[in-house]
Amino acid sequence: MSEPLIRRLGELPAAEPDIRRTEHIRKRCHARLARQKKTRRRLVSRMPTSERMAPVWQSAIAVLGFVYLTQVILIALAVYGLT
Amino acid sequence: MDRDTELTLVGRLRQGEADAFDEVYAAFNRPLFTFLLRLSRRRDVAEDLHEETWLRLVTHAGRLQADTRLGPWLFTVARNLYVSYRRSRALEESAAAGLTGLWPFSPRETSPFEETAANELERRIERALANLPTTSREVLLLVAVSGLDQSEVADICGITPSALRQRLHRARELLADALERDAVHPPVLEGAPPCPSR
Repeated sequence: MSEPLIRRLGELPAAEPDIRRTEHIRKRCHARLARQKKTRRRLVSRMPTSERMAPVWQSAIAVLGFVYLTQVILIALAVYGLT
Repeated sequence: MDRDTELTLVGRLRQGEADAFDEVYAAFNRPLFTFLLRLSRRRDVAEDLHEETWLRLVTHAGRLQADTRLGPWLFTVARNLYVSYRRSRALEESAAAGLTGLWPFSPRETSPFEETAANELERRIERALANLPTTSREVLLLVAVSGLDQSEVADICGITPSALRQRLHRARELLADALERDAVHPPVLEGAPPCPSR
């Protein structure tokens, strides 16, 4: 009963949105995206330098920490004659 | 649209790329509009809700999860907007009916699809679909017409997969019954033109 019916439903024609309205929506969405992008950029540029540089110095500290720990492990291994 | 393309598009949308929006728009514009038109049965309502759905997408673009599924996301928003619209209209109608007691009510409206259906069977299906309760109509539209997975449809409707299966089963029965009734007693519409050609 139902499967051919479901198939029939799937074959029903799609509706065609009005072309002018479609273009109008696209333009409105583009404008909103552009506005949001601009706002984001403005917010980033207003951030204090220390905040903007945070990812850089956080990464630098992580790298230095890793190098330091590696050296400590290597020295410890050398002290116990394991290298 | 395959999953990798979809994930790339989501990433680009999060960056606010207009080209990514255009690709999503091209892929989902018609299915979304068709869904809203069949759900609301009114072109003006479907057009307004359709526009609002797309505006919601761009407003939330920067906050989309990286693994967002665009189809279910858009259909969820569209459905929720329709539910809100229905709720506000029901409030307006009950208020107006309370004031006048003479509010005109037409339980059987002709859907835009019914008016342009290519053949008699299509017209009967459109008519039966248009007269189903909204909850039945929406699951049939999402599963059978929009081709979404049942798990996605359950999420969109905010119900469990087993509840969806029950709702779908009931909807199929209602549709089959409506078609059967329609075949035995086809409605006579006042002033309806004989099957228009497309």
